[in-house]
Amino acid sequence: MSTKNNTHEASFRDPSGYMFHDGDILRRVINPIYFPQYNKLKESGFFGTLIKQGLLIPHTETSVADDKIVITPEHIPFITNPYEWSFQQYKHAALHTLKLQKYALSKGFILKDASAYNVTFHKGKPVFIDTLSFDFYEEGTPWRAYKQFITHFFGPLVLAKYHGTEIFKMLQTHIDGIPVKLIASMLPGKTKLSATIHTNIHLLAKMESKHSEDYKAETKVTKLSKKQQSNILESLFNFIKKLELNETSEWGNYYDKTNYETAAFEGKKKLIREWVTPLNPQRLIDVGGNDGTFARTVLDKVPDVLVTDIDSNAVDYNYTQLQENKETNMLPFVCDVLQPAPGIGFNNTERNSLIDRLKDYKPDITMALALIHHITLSGNVPFAKSAEFFAKFSGTLIIEFPKREDSWVESLLVRKREFMNHFDFYNETDFEAGYTQFFDIEKKEIVPGTKRVLYLMKRK
Amino acid sequence: MNFLYFDPGLGAMIVQAVVAAAAGVLLFSKNAWYKVKAFFGLLKEEDDAYDSIDIDEDNDDSEINLDEHKK
Repeated sequence: MSTKNNTHEASFRDPSGYMFHDGDILRRVINPIYFPQYNKLKESGFFGTLIKQGLLIPHTETSVADDKIVITPEHIPFITNPYEWSFQQYKHAALHTLKLQKYALSKGFILKDASAYNVTFHKGKPVFIDTLSFDFYEEGTPWRAYKQFITHFFGPLVLAKYHGTEIFKMLQTHIDGIPVKLIASMLPGKTKLSATIHTNIHLLAKMESKHSEDYKAETKVTKLSKKQQSNILESLFNFIKKLELNETSEWGNYYDKTNYETAAFEGKKKLIREWVTPLNPQRLIDVGGNDGTFARTVLDKVPDVLVTDIDSNAVDYNYTQLQENKETNMLPFVCDVLQPAPGIGFNNTERNSLIDRLKDYKPDITMALALIHHITLSGNVPFAKSAEFFAKFSGTLIIEFPKREDSWVESLLVRKREFMNHFDFYNETDFEAGYTQFFDIEKKEIVPGTKRVLYLMKRK
Repeated sequence: MNFLYFDPGLGAMIVQAVVAAAAGVLLFSKNAWYKVKAFFGLLKEEDDAYDSIDIDEDNDDSEINLDEHKK
């Protein structure tokens, strides 16, 4: 089991251990320096409780030696990054972190970091994946990860409340969280009237500036009792729990707006189910899948389903639904196909790009329903190029092509005004010509009652 | 050994005392308000996946183990 040069790209800061790729399996090495913590966490039943309750990713001990312990965490098919979460998902990830820190505190431990990358979504819930993030609590010390919690979680959430979920994309350009001073400057003045926001953000920003010049580390750090720290955690928890977006819009109108007739709607669902079922896919991704309506037609047949959409509200609605239905095999996240998340961080590989993650995931089926007209007409992407994009990760593609006569297409074309003729290439023949460069068309059927054609394609 | 491989921020460490004070007041008043509501029967069922910050330790393997010993 060679561990050299197979280290995970994001795993290099924590001296406690690191993650590495053992062939296809991701494993974690624990260094001797962390043995006391690891053994206490194991023997006291701390790990056991968290794993049993589905709060921490389960792991098995693979090997134990004097110079290292190797554990293997449960495989997570697809990692979503914080900038891909909807509002409720982000909220739940924050609450999850606070929950763990409070529990850790009660058992004599703390979380040594509160990075948003410690949490991801798995089996329909947030789960903590940084098993070595726990350290011993030193009586009376303030929480060292507090600032990180503010910059990774609290700050972005409060900003999103006032400015919308576009804020979360800032986590792409600020991999270690949005700077506190920037958060403070972007919030409306009235937030100073909120005790929670004023102390946790505005006051924090002031204190940071004040103490930024302590080059000789002379200032004494005050003591903070366990109860005081617990109060901070609990009040942040209560505040975040009640947070809602200012621009809440009622989801549920999308399918009304596109004036789908019920028969056509059901016709499409039926076709999808007919085509997907015999292929027996293990993994399926629905790109531009809105609130998961069409993905749900095959959810009972596919062990692992990803649903992504540019509309954060739709993803939110989907996430809320799957929690209510207790669906454990669907993972919704936010993605703009025209600019999918890039690789970021050191070497631009610390957090890998969406396309890389999709290549690793290797979905058996990719669905792109009611999507191509947006990519082509709104995004001005030629057919061959969008085909090339899908071919990067899709073995089998189910794609819906709305013809020129479709009402949505007509309205998109009409909006181009005098530039409309540029889009003469938007027709069935040219679409097929573009896509057959990368795919073979196996099935082609008109969705009954519509001007849309459903294709089943296999990558060449 | 200290695993502090990033700077927690001196300002952040110091400010927590003030944050805790404010939090303490908020939690106290929330509790008081809760008790008043309970007294007047005005409490609503909050069904939310995250209704509590506390982790319930009631379902423990150890309990099952004890039963096995009894057998």
